[in-house]
Amino acid sequence: MDSLNIFIKSIFVDNMIFAFFLGMCSYLAISKTVKTSMGLGLAVVFVLIVTVPVNYLIDHYLLQKGALTWISKDFADVDLSFLSFIIFIAVVAGIVQLVEMFVERYSPSLYSQLGIFLPLIAVNCAILGCSLFMQKRDYSNIGEVFSFAFGSGIGWLLAIVGIAAIRERLKYSNIPPALKGLGIAFIITGLMAIAFQAFSGIKL
Amino acid sequence: MKSFSNRYIYIYSTVLVVVVAAILAIVSMVLRKPQDNNIKAEQMQMILQAANKTVERVEAEKVYNNYVTTELGVKANGEVVAKYTNGKQELGDIRPFSLNIKDEYKKYKANNNDAVLPVFVYTKEDGESIYVVPVRGIGLWDEIWGYVALKSDANTVENVVFDHAGETPGLGGNIKDDPSFPASFVGKTIFEGDDFVSIAVEKRVGKDNPHKVDALTGATLTSNGVSDMLKESLKFYVPYFKSLKK
Amino acid sequence: MANNKKLITTPFSKENPIIVQVLGICSCLAVTVKLQPAVVMALSVTVVVMMSNLFISLLRNTIPPRIRIIVQLVVVALFVILVDQFLKAFAYDVSKQLSVYVGLIITNCIVMGRLEAFAMSNKPLPSLLDGLGNGLGYGIILVIVGFVRELFGFGTLWGYRVLPESFYNAGYENNGLMVMPAMALILVGIIIWVHRNKNKELVENE
Repeated sequence: MDSLNIFIKSIFVDNMIFAFFLGMCSYLAISKTVKTSMGLGLAVVFVLIVTVPVNYLIDHYLLQKGALTWISKDFADVDLSFLSFIIFIAVVAGIVQLVEMFVERYSPSLYSQLGIFLPLIAVNCAILGCSLFMQKRDYSNIGEVFSFAFGSGIGWLLAIVGIAAIRERLKYSNIPPALKGLGIAFIITGLMAIAFQAFSGIKL
Repeated sequence: MKSFSNRYIYIYSTVLVVVVAAILAIVSMVLRKPQDNNIKAEQMQMILQAANKTVERVEAEKVYNNYVTTELGVKANGEVVAKYTNGKQELGDIRPFSLNIKDEYKKYKANNNDAVLPVFVYTKEDGESIYVVPVRGIGLWDEIWGYVALKSDANTVENVVFDHAGETPGLGGNIKDDPSFPASFVGKTIFEGDDFVSIAVEKRVGKDNPHKVDALTGATLTSNGVSDMLKESLKFYVPYFKSLKK
Repeated sequence: MANNKKLITTPFSKENPIIVQVLGICSCLAVTVKLQPAVVMALSVTVVVMMSNLFISLLRNTIPPRIRIIVQLVVVALFVILVDQFLKAFAYDVSKQLSVYVGLIITNCIVMGRLEAFAMSNKPLPSLLDGLGNGLGYGIILVIVGFVRELFGFGTLWGYRVLPESFYNAGYENNGLMVMPAMALILVGIIIWVHRNKNKELVENE
């Protein structure tokens, strides 16, 4: 599997929202207008391409069974992978905080767009999910991991902007009152997921 | 809200981290054994299943030790570099059962000649040897793997068993869930004369073709994945199988 | 005592974590293809919410507010790892089906949401009950979705065939759409629809 293939696949086939339902909470809560959802989507892409490669390095050089052999041959049997959940989430929370401080310091305009979304992202399951999938799927080098993270982020962005555009239009349509808001958002996401099924199995 | 000094915060977080790490380390050590046993038992169960011996997970290890008398570690050129018989290591220093198949396949795919893959020799009640080999590949979504058992002629399929990480349940997932799919492999052959042809999974091939089986409905890409997996994985063993035929 | 009972019952309907509070959807839908993983997931989440609610509530006066989110995450992660390790050791097949979704309980917003909203400011016993109620309220949606998807998608329940062979002979086919991820979303949408029709005060007016 080469990087480009992984990139395309993680956007369309393994879409975080439509295939794995990851990050649904903020997806449903923030998707009322295109502008804000664009902001959140970009923030997710940004955090993903930083945290997933970092977690890959940690997993590869610290946690996996036999990962510590670069320190000494005696550690070949040490398996710290039971710690991975806790370390991954700590890395995500820490990096989100760092990114927030950096953006605030060096690019106030970007901060005013992304700022409010950044703290939300620490508990966005798409971010942790991406790291866990990375660990499970055994990518062979950091380039592949990067394109997986980037692709997943773009896929998430695509999904949230798509539904936000649809929801903006829905204001003018006549929906049964009980289905308004949340209910119809679920059903539309379902229909979008069916559309994305058409991509399954594409390979470059 | 009470306020806390920085010192308190540092001490608090240190204590928390140490306590949590200690709990996790203890639990992981205590549970490591049953976890490893589960993985081992599942693998043994699959190997036995491939050789047509269906057992419960809890029985797997006992039955395995009775029937799978020899484990071999084989290289791509057919050379046997490890042998484990009746509970004793006779050749090499790693037990073939504990080879990391995933890693060895990676080496093999990278054209590394050091790759060593296992062959499990299952002895039937009537004394016939069945050769069980692992296969590994990519399905539609994720990895697929399994075991292929060949009769003592190292050509005819005794049985196969497949598993998968994330194929669509009811479609691609049927490689595992629908017993008629593995059953369709029984009796097929992987050699045509002296040439290796593998077993292809294709649409509408009927029952009579010795090297092909019918694809799963609605799961073309998983079926192709199984086809590629068999071809790539069995190719590794061709020199070894040929040495058996002589 | 009446209050305590309410803590358990309201999350079933009026304050259901999934269909009203919109929390914890992420990890729930993907495990509902069949009934069994849905039930195990529901139980795991319930255990994690209860235990971390209890724990955080016991610690609530000692936690410095500045690091409370990270303390909460650590406590939740601790219980999630414990659940994961136990599943791997004693319910191996189920743990394989749930795969990464067990880990995702950490970021399941129900857990964090209940910790912030309830356990940080309430006594241990009510917190424990609140966790139980919310875990079960979450579970009931999972079980409904899992029930429908397995019944129509496979014709089985808990792995046992329930639709008789004669149905299939008469031309009935399993509904392949039910096993697709999309159908889980649509089913939840329909559940919300029905639920809001019964509880008019929840209807959104945009």
